[in-house]
Amino acid sequence: MSFPGAGPSVLAQGAQDFKGQDAKMSIIIGAMAVADLVKSTLGPKGMDKILQSQNGEVTVTNDGATILKRLTLDNPAAKILVDISKTQDDEVGDGTTTVCILAGALLAEADPLLSQRIHPQTIVAGWRLALKAAREALEAASWDISGDEEAFKKMLFKIAKTTLSSKIVHNEHDQFAQMCVDAILRIKDCGCHLENIQILKKCGGSMRDSFLAEGFILDKKIGVGQPKRMENAKVLVANTPMDTDKIKIYGAKVKVDSIAKVAEIEQAEVAKMMAKCEKIAATGCNVFINRQLIYNKPEQYFADKGVMAIEHADFEGVERLGAVLGAEIASTFDAPDMIKLGKCDLIEEVQIGEDRLIQFKGCAGGEACTIVLRGASMHLLDEAERSIHDALCVLKTVVKDTRAIYGGGCSEVFMAEAVDQLAKTTPGKKSLAIEAFAKALRSLPKTIAENGGYDSTELVTQLRAAHNKGQSSAGLNMNDGTIGDMKETGIIECFRVKCQSLVSAAEAAEMIIRVDEVITCVPRQRGEE
Amino acid sequence: VSLPCLPLIARSKPKTHLATMMKGETKEDHKQQDDVRKGNIVAAKAIADAVRTSLGPRGMDKMIQSGQGEVIITNDGATILKQMSVAHPTAKMMVELSKSQDIEAGDGTTSVVVIAGGLLNCCGQLLNRGIHPNQISEAFQLACTRATEIMREISIPVDFADREALIKCTTTSLSSKVVSQSSGLLAPLAVDAVSRVADPLEQSVDLNNIRIVRKLGGTVDETEMVEGLVFTQKAAKGAGGPTRVQNAKIAVLQFQLSPPKTDIENTVVISDYQQMDRVLKEERNYIADLCKKIAKTGCNVILLQKSILRDAITDLGVHFLSKLKIMLIRDIERDEIEFICKTLQCVPIASVDALRPEKLGKADLVEEFATSDGKVVKVTGVAKPCRTVSILCRGSNKLVLEENERSIHDALCVVRSLFKKRHMIPGGSAPEMEVSTQLMEYAKKLSGVESYCVRAFAEALEIIPATLAENAGLNPITIVTELRIRHAKGEKHAGINVRKGIISDMAEENVLQPLLVSTSALELATECVRMILKIDGVVPTL
Repeated sequence: MSFPGAGPSVLAQGAQDFKGQDAKMSIIIGAMAVADLVKSTLGPKGMDKILQSQNGEVTVTNDGATILKRLTLDNPAAKILVDISKTQDDEVGDGTTTVCILAGALLAEADPLLSQRIHPQTIVAGWRLALKAAREALEAASWDISGDEEAFKKMLFKIAKTTLSSKIVHNEHDQFAQMCVDAILRIKDCGCHLENIQILKKCGGSMRDSFLAEGFILDKKIGVGQPKRMENAKVLVANTPMDTDKIKIYGAKVKVDSIAKVAEIEQAEVAKMMAKCEKIAATGCNVFINRQLIYNKPEQYFADKGVMAIEHADFEGVERLGAVLGAEIASTFDAPDMIKLGKCDLIEEVQIGEDRLIQFKGCAGGEACTIVLRGASMHLLDEAERSIHDALCVLKTVVKDTRAIYGGGCSEVFMAEAVDQLAKTTPGKKSLAIEAFAKALRSLPKTIAENGGYDSTELVTQLRAAHNKGQSSAGLNMNDGTIGDMKETGIIECFRVKCQSLVSAAEAAEMIIRVDEVITCVPRQRGEE
Repeated sequence: VSLPCLPLIARSKPKTHLATMMKGETKEDHKQQDDVRKGNIVAAKAIADAVRTSLGPRGMDKMIQSGQGEVIITNDGATILKQMSVAHPTAKMMVELSKSQDIEAGDGTTSVVVIAGGLLNCCGQLLNRGIHPNQISEAFQLACTRATEIMREISIPVDFADREALIKCTTTSLSSKVVSQSSGLLAPLAVDAVSRVADPLEQSVDLNNIRIVRKLGGTVDETEMVEGLVFTQKAAKGAGGPTRVQNAKIAVLQFQLSPPKTDIENTVVISDYQQMDRVLKEERNYIADLCKKIAKTGCNVILLQKSILRDAITDLGVHFLSKLKIMLIRDIERDEIEFICKTLQCVPIASVDALRPEKLGKADLVEEFATSDGKVVKVTGVAKPCRTVSILCRGSNKLVLEENERSIHDALCVVRSLFKKRHMIPGGSAPEMEVSTQLMEYAKKLSGVESYCVRAFAEALEIIPATLAENAGLNPITIVTELRIRHAKGEKHAGINVRKGIISDMAEENVLQPLLVSTSALELATECVRMILKIDGVVPTL
């Protein structure tokens, strides 16, 4: 609050103004609160959160981005953290929790410096030096995993496993990691469009029953009396009404003077519809997929022609199907040569759990595949889908930038050591800020250890000693709560993800600490009228 | 009544955090997180307690009154939970849990929740001792894997062709239901139905090929299986149309036998009286023409699809059809068409021009039967091979009827799980006790927190025999301890004989159930408990 009576009021009534210490407190505490909230979800032994929405929906998740996205926040600094985690999610898909915790830790470390009356700009200057050193160290620690196909595959598998280790699929993470790697390798040569990997959730069975299927799976039914299996399919994907094309003028009506004439008009309408069907058949397709309903009559027509007709495919399904089969979505059929038909080798019905679904194999966009997730409940499936999505994003990043680093807190400690080294050689107050940066980096392995229920201080100090002795691949072994060699345990992370989270966290923290005044505008009045 | 989860250390001992004792300043005391976890456990346990009394053959039923004032009486755990309106997030997870068991095995929906409740109860105690939730979670997973192995070891393989064995299993599942006195009829019925539709080459059975038709009236004993079709719609007849047709040629029609109607709005303009006569005559001719075309194909039974846009058939149409001696069943839903066509091995006909004799389905007999409450039409003697079956489900009132349908569904699921996993396991809580006994032994070989948690897991499983005994009005402590002794002596199949109130060999008593039901109940319950344990915060969102 501005001091009452200390001059004329500049701001409108209801607006608030925090300055100096108050502003610092409010933003640092806000950011730290958000970081604390997601802190316990970090690492392989991280915990989950229940997100309870007001309409009673429940989500159980371990994914930092999901938690933060759904939060309702009032604190401006907290919103900045939510934003950087969103950016992280969009850019690389994983490390969303890390970025939030690191930014929070940086601010927590900056707090005592501010109390010592060190100017925020000095801190920022120190952090920038530290960030540069940390980045260089990270780049030095990274190595290229591309090259030999087999070895690359193995590395991808290890990276996927590391990402999935903290997720709900933890128990079957070998299987899931393999699935993700296979899926990403399929789409690798075609620009890595993740849209080509479909994730299908089906309740029932256990996680272990999940599998990677070739091609595309559509959760729809084939019309009655039509072929249930089609080889060398030529697919027409359409979005067109299959009843009579009505005139869109309100109140249009016909006047006749006999029932026979009404019957004639009905015949004409039917004929029009059948003409449309004939046009569709004339395109040479043997599979017709429509986003809208196909009524009995056209259905029968297609059945007679031996065309497989699938009605009411949802919008997303149609779009994806079009992309995967290489078809264009058609809505008029007057020029058959303008219509691009999709191709696939085989369409058949498959049974998954209780339901029969339609599988498209050997699609024109040959790389497409579907991950079929099975699980006990929808909560589980949703969370598994998020985990798979994260893993796929990371793998996609790795395929583009093939550098990798060791995980398990190894790279953080390595960077912290480099930053500490810099602090020792930097004169002036900046050195304190650099030290703080190193401390913040070390808080990540500390949190991981803490979440596992281990003695975090003990482990982190041991880890630091190991690095100083030159064991540059030493990290936390979360299975038995000891220090281990990450090369042996195969905990590998993607360089891009780590680098991105480091930079974003530093940027966000810098942005927050530079703030010296918070002005809250008058909330918009509602319900006045 | 005491639960079997006895504390491992006397309660009077001051509660010290083991973790703090063992490792110094390992973990900050997250008081708030502990509170969240305990709150979650309490909520989930409340759900388990609510359905506990309906477990087993002597279990009680629940009457549920829905928001609209509808009343349901049921013994089926999944149904009870589905109808309960719960608000707490973990309580919702328990509801989901029972639903999953319903999808996976179709039976054991109460047991799965009771087991989860028992496990959560012991989790509470373990957490109080300061054991980290992750350690509990991992130990439980270990115990669960071991437990399913043990169950597999004591299971009895079954041949799917062995009808007697299948019936035994189904009888056990039905014994806890209201309709249990009719299990002599329902069990063989369920077994026959599934065996008919089962494709030996496939992994699973598609229960969609079994259509359960409900008809109010009669008693549960009048429930029957029909190899063909059953319609609760009576044959529409005016002017004495046929109600019994032999050597039926059946047409499934998707077009309407009513005056034409266009999509565009139309008006028939009549200027004088004569014109009106002509219009009426034309209408007659139009419909008569349609009916004649149908009759020409030799069709003598019509199944007419319901139409939303206009009348599927007018009185005039009904009249003409009766004149032509064609039996008519109307108001067939569009989604039933596929099942009907599959059964009759015909194709639906969507326009009168497409009507051809080869599109008709054949059946030996289509006959309307009078029942105490309305009429049903049965189509029997359909062409072989037919992989579909209809079950006509009866009940003297709506509540019994619905419960009967649910019970038949459970029974069908039991047979299906035997098809999926061809092993049986004794019922009467014998497997739970055996697993508990063997896990106790196993725990002795482990060390540290793991051993402690596995032991707690083993003890928690005793909740099943305890509840079973309790619901049967027996003394749970005497029964459970005696059962424990019998299992320790190596009687692997000893279980509670609820009817006689003694311990006996369940395999000899023919109380058997599919292995899948027991293993899946245990696996799902463990999975759910682990998920609840992993939660350390509830975040309100928009």
